Amino acid sequence: MSIAFKPEETFRGDYSYRNSDAAILRFPFPFPEDKYMYSVNIEPHVRSGPSDVFIRPFDVDEHYIAECRDRAITLERDPGRCQVLPHMMLAQWDTLELLMENLSADYPEHFSLTKEGDDFGSRWTWTNRPLGIEQSFIFGDAATLPCEPFEYITRQAQGDFAICDQRDDNLYMDAGMVTSQADWSLEFDVGMSFMEWHGPVPLAHQTGVFERALKYLLMLRLGQPVRRLNWTMTINPRLDTSPESFPEWGTDRASVTPDNAGSKVHLRVELQTLWRLPRSNAILFPIRCYLASLDDLARVPKWGARLHRVLSSLPPQLVEYKGLTRYLPAALAWLSRHDDGAELPIGTEAGVDTLT
Amino acid sequence: MLHSDIKSRPTYRALEPDLAAAGHLLVIEAATLQPGGLAGLADAFAPVVANLHTWLVGEALAAPGLGKPWHLPAVADVVDALACATRGYGIGDRLYVQGTEPFLWSVATAAAIVGFGPGQLQLCHAGSLQRRVWCTHCHGVTEQVTTNVVPCAGCGRHLLVRDHFSRRLGAFMGVMVDAEAPGEIPAIEEVFA
Amino acid sequence: MIGDTLLLQVAAVTDIAPGLRHLRLVAADGGKLPPAAAGAHVQFVLEGAARTWRNAYSLVSRPGARDAWEIIVRRVPASRGGSAFIHEQLEVGDRLLAGWPGNLFAPVRIARHHLMIAGGIGITPFLSYLAEFGFTGAGHALHVCCRESEKDVFAPWLGSSPAVAFHWDADGHRLDIPALLASQPAGTHLYVCGPAAMNDEVMAAAAVAGWPASHVHCEHFGSALFGGEAFRAFLVRSGIELEVAEDESLLDAIERAGVAAPCLCRGGACGVCVTPLLEGEAEHRDHFLSADERAAGRLIMPCVSRARAGRLVLDL
Repeated sequence: MSIAFKPEETFRGDYSYRNSDAAILRFPFPFPEDKYMYSVNIEPHVRSGPSDVFIRPFDVDEHYIAECRDRAITLERDPGRCQVLPHMMLAQWDTLELLMENLSADYPEHFSLTKEGDDFGSRWTWTNRPLGIEQSFIFGDAATLPCEPFEYITRQAQGDFAICDQRDDNLYMDAGMVTSQADWSLEFDVGMSFMEWHGPVPLAHQTGVFERALKYLLMLRLGQPVRRLNWTMTINPRLDTSPESFPEWGTDRASVTPDNAGSKVHLRVELQTLWRLPRSNAILFPIRCYLASLDDLARVPKWGARLHRVLSSLPPQLVEYKGLTRYLPAALAWLSRHDDGAELPIGTEAGVDTLT
Repeated sequence: MLHSDIKSRPTYRALEPDLAAAGHLLVIEAATLQPGGLAGLADAFAPVVANLHTWLVGEALAAPGLGKPWHLPAVADVVDALACATRGYGIGDRLYVQGTEPFLWSVATAAAIVGFGPGQLQLCHAGSLQRRVWCTHCHGVTEQVTTNVVPCAGCGRHLLVRDHFSRRLGAFMGVMVDAEAPGEIPAIEEVFA
Repeated sequence: MIGDTLLLQVAAVTDIAPGLRHLRLVAADGGKLPPAAAGAHVQFVLEGAARTWRNAYSLVSRPGARDAWEIIVRRVPASRGGSAFIHEQLEVGDRLLAGWPGNLFAPVRIARHHLMIAGGIGITPFLSYLAEFGFTGAGHALHVCCRESEKDVFAPWLGSSPAVAFHWDADGHRLDIPALLASQPAGTHLYVCGPAAMNDEVMAAAAVAGWPASHVHCEHFGSALFGGEAFRAFLVRSGIELEVAEDESLLDAIERAGVAAPCLCRGGACGVCVTPLLEGEAEHRDHFLSADERAAGRLIMPCVSRARAGRLVLDL
């Protein structure tokens, strides 16, 4: 599958990021119904789903090159966005192997991996054509890469990554590459247990969602990854909405009006997958981020109307937690023009093959 | 605010010796002791006093019933002493710490470095509720914070003090309070006295 | 790296001692196996003439091996029969189905030192531990308690590491477990794998020596990962009587009967498959139902839960 990359687009400054029509149609719209509430919406990460972003375990799209460049810019300014505690070296190699194997198998025209063996100590050669990288290294010997293996491979992947160490019937976020997060700080959270890093999430603790999710994840099996969607909203197509850089993007939230909301306000969907890693027994948690403006979404009539209804009925605690308070009225005013009130079919599918 | 139910916030309880343990190390921030506090601890630790070491940090108080206490001037000396223990610590040893939250987590962090696991550690909050605040933006630390909003000692931004707590940093998260609307700073109140 | 079962082929069979058989297994299609970690086990489907066994064995191959998996099987005299099948029937070239590796006994990688105590064939998970620690340089010690005659059987598998010590039941050679456990530095993790009596003795000694429970790990073998006794279920609304086999879930059986049942995670967490239980007593294995809901006994999650006794009647 050949991808028409858009290497020049930006996620800051002039925000030239745009979705092609094909990218809009494959957007992983997260709302099957008119109301939203937290649930343990975990399902097997099989090679199928309502959008073709689910077809490959690690989805690569037209924004690949630009996203990797944006990550590099963020890391240059704040190297602390990549954190790896010392006991996570095996998990680093697990992650590198998983990503290289899947990317080279699913996108052979863009990535390739040749191995002289599978064990630690074997020479591997990795080719990343979109980024112009060719690297020969010894699998298991970090000194043969330009940086540690987790940072090396996640600089060449879309989305954020966390690795959770499993011990004492708990999961600890002991490594991460986080440059496009929905307002949480890896440097603050690194080393935290599952309940601790979910501490700030409102409402969900009381319903036992996290206890159930943790028990389920502790039993996650090698070879049987799972996935869920999460979402929030972002002003401008900005990947780096970290608390670290909040002073830079905070004022954007006050810039939204009913007239500019269509281009300013973006729905940000995270395709979160969870993988048991083979050597370390850790869990890899990739968080793949997709951005679409309200303009983009309203070109699919079902999505524009449904988003209006979901946001209209969102519990106030979630409005606050997701940081929507300041601009939600303007976004709703814009979206209301795209909702005729007619009943919408259940499900997330676009229901159209071409855009209006 | 101490009783926030956020899951990242540790819960603290009165110290109680683990009778199965081999050795016991009790570290007390002296300034946080209430009248009669040492006597209460002496009662609690009486069953294990033969294997008890007590470190009093700050004021050099007498501590009858707690062995022959060792006096250390400041928490930094506790950190050094833990790191320098010549014979190290055993897997059967327990560490008990009482004091303000920044004190507790300074000691806990140093203890983790010499191998103490969470199951070997008891923490009891005493004294002021003042917070150590970690600035999300400049990563500087502001100590002894008693207000809901505080100017960062590192970058000067006004930080909203959140309840989200990091054991690794022993600190609460501080996030710029007027990032969305510069200059819009809520009333500053004493909340962590 | 997605999948749940693999077809393996026996590549080599070696009797390393009376009652101990070593197997080398490769992918039947000639491809690569998924890598596995230190402490990993694999569940094998052993198809006997009269019945099928599902036995789990620790992998003793080097961690991360993808060319072949190796196991050592002790023939258990009064076993369910799976180990006897391996010793008497399995031959080079035979094919068998296996699950992907699981791991309920992984080393704790924040440990500053790893202390392992093995009883007899209980050394098997520690062979992969030793390989990993050899690679990562983590501090470790292995104490093997066995019969004196077994020492020479196990020694070739353990290399010549000074971190390995053998102990047997003779004066001057017994392991002084309390003394060993009392002298360990903070940050040590203890792992024990052996006969139940030895495991219990070590765990008890650790508690006496003041070890925190979080630092003591015991391999629990034989706990079923899935399946159980066969049972019957009746679906009222569909009017279908089901026989749920010992190696399938209630949900599998419902689906096999052609009844559409909503489900999502198939692991007892999401709650999507919760079904009203009209009669019968459930053995709840899910993580979803509350203690009150379990006590009320009116709901079941068919993806993981089974019948405790008799027949289940479901509103489905």
